[in-house]
Amino acid sequence: MLLSIQNLTVRYGADTVLSVKSPIEIAEGDRVGVIGSNGAGKTTLIKSILGLVPYQGMIKTELKPEQMAVHMQFNEYTDSMPVKYIMEAVLGTKISRDRKLQELISFFEFEDCLRKKYSKLSGGQKQRFTIIMVMMQGAELTFYDEVTSGLDFETRQKLVEKLAEWYQGREASFLMVSHYYEELDQLADKLLILDKGQVIDYGRREELFRKYCGRAVVIAGNTERNMTILSEFEKLDSPAHLIAVSCESEEKEKRIAKLLLENDINYKRSNNDIEMLYINAKAKAGIEGGENGAARESGETAGKGGKEKHGES
Amino acid sequence: MGNHKNNRKGLLSGQMLLFEFRNTIGNPYVHIFGVGMPVLMMIIITRAVAGEMPEGPMLSAAVTSIFLGIGVLIPMATIFMGYAVSHAQELEKGIPQRLELFGIRIRVSLCNRILSEILFMAIAFIVYFAAGYGIVGVERPKALGAVLYMACILVLSVIFFCLAHAIASLLKKFGPAYCVTMVLYFLQMILGGMMGISYDNMPSLMQAAAKLLPVTYINRDFYTVWKGEHYNYVPMLQSYLLMGAVAGILLFVTLHKERRELH
Repeated sequence: MLLSIQNLTVRYGADTVLSVKSPIEIAEGDRVGVIGSNGAGKTTLIKSILGLVPYQGMIKTELKPEQMAVHMQFNEYTDSMPVKYIMEAVLGTKISRDRKLQELISFFEFEDCLRKKYSKLSGGQKQRFTIIMVMMQGAELTFYDEVTSGLDFETRQKLVEKLAEWYQGREASFLMVSHYYEELDQLADKLLILDKGQVIDYGRREELFRKYCGRAVVIAGNTERNMTILSEFEKLDSPAHLIAVSCESEEKEKRIAKLLLENDINYKRSNNDIEMLYINAKAKAGIEGGENGAARESGETAGKGGKEKHGES
Repeated sequence: MGNHKNNRKGLLSGQMLLFEFRNTIGNPYVHIFGVGMPVLMMIIITRAVAGEMPEGPMLSAAVTSIFLGIGVLIPMATIFMGYAVSHAQELEKGIPQRLELFGIRIRVSLCNRILSEILFMAIAFIVYFAAGYGIVGVERPKALGAVLYMACILVLSVIFFCLAHAIASLLKKFGPAYCVTMVLYFLQMILGGMMGISYDNMPSLMQAAAKLLPVTYINRDFYTVWKGEHYNYVPMLQSYLLMGAVAGILLFVTLHKERRELH
């Protein structure tokens, strides 16, 4: 076990910003995605694990704070020198003599940026700069706090692909905070769902999906016609522009699929959709969300979109 | 992922020292107020004194005394103000915490930074002495006098560094840190007798405050030490001890507040 959290409470003044009652354990090799809307306590959780904020309760780990690596939401460096020197000083190595560092620089296509000062780097280059150094730490547990925040879609996608590729086949554990479900789709095997400083649930993605959405879900656009066609089925909570039906059995799924095909309706089938999981976990916990429940009741015309960003923190 | 072994074993490392030195020289403030201003002030004031005094040993002594007194502005500007301001700016951006999160302990940063600050100050003093000997004709010291001057400046620099770190860390913002260090900088200049009122002409309350500051003794008395003449070091030593204690306590409080721990 790398880390275990028990009865954790973090207060800022009179406000309790994070309260973890049931134990949370992170084992070797775990890749934990942390989701929750603004003010859920995601960054506070990372800060308390790193000993950056005072807290009550217990965080048990063999690791010292400096043995954990972290990519914070905002990372700043001195602008007095090119980033090459910062990198070498932070890592205590020379790029010209360090094969692993050369490999990482090349993997993240950072060679041309080494002579630039930090303020002259683009948003994506800044993120890659910190990621290279975080990865070079080779920590047993790494935290990524909104690593792609503020990046355009293409840069974000490319960075996540690089991260996923890098971690493939490696044993390292990490905990990644993100508002982008598709990032966690690619990277996380466990999920920690937070809301307003409370833990809604924590566990393996597939187990949580089964718990809140069933074996699989079929998702279609929220139109009056679709609503009528699927009227006999009980709906899950979903974003307002979608209708989601839980398929507890293969037979039911086949029946729904047949119905949708017969009526020439586009649909999506998933057995691990993080957005659906998150919305329904929140709904089950009795938390009102902007999109929650809207599709169950209304027959409004569906909008475009899907799994996109749900907010900033 | 294979663990990367950081090559930094002790408190000091060539790379960190170079990093901190680049950081120090990257602060334009230290060049202007730590190198340019003392040289300029020294030349202007000594020229003004030379215009009012006849040539001779008295003038030479006065010029040397002014030169030694103004020299104390170098650690005050480069370390006390320069480091406080630059550290406060870094704190505002979260840079020290970012480095700590990379496993660079505060004491490693502090040790390398103080050394780099002293290195820069030494360079500033070389420029200052070159100007002093080349332009205004400073008297040659006795060996012991020169060693004592260097030692006093060095110890004062360490005290200033601790104070600067503590002030910046406690205030955490560039604006307040700049304001507080600037006030203390001018207060030391005024009480140290560098702003026109000598110690002897100060009101008794000011004298009582001036006696607590090492800069007063360096500005007022160091010509005696420089020439190897008999000098009572006790009051100066007491002022060093007092300022050192204040700096030490503030630094301790700051480091205690900044520490990270899990429980």
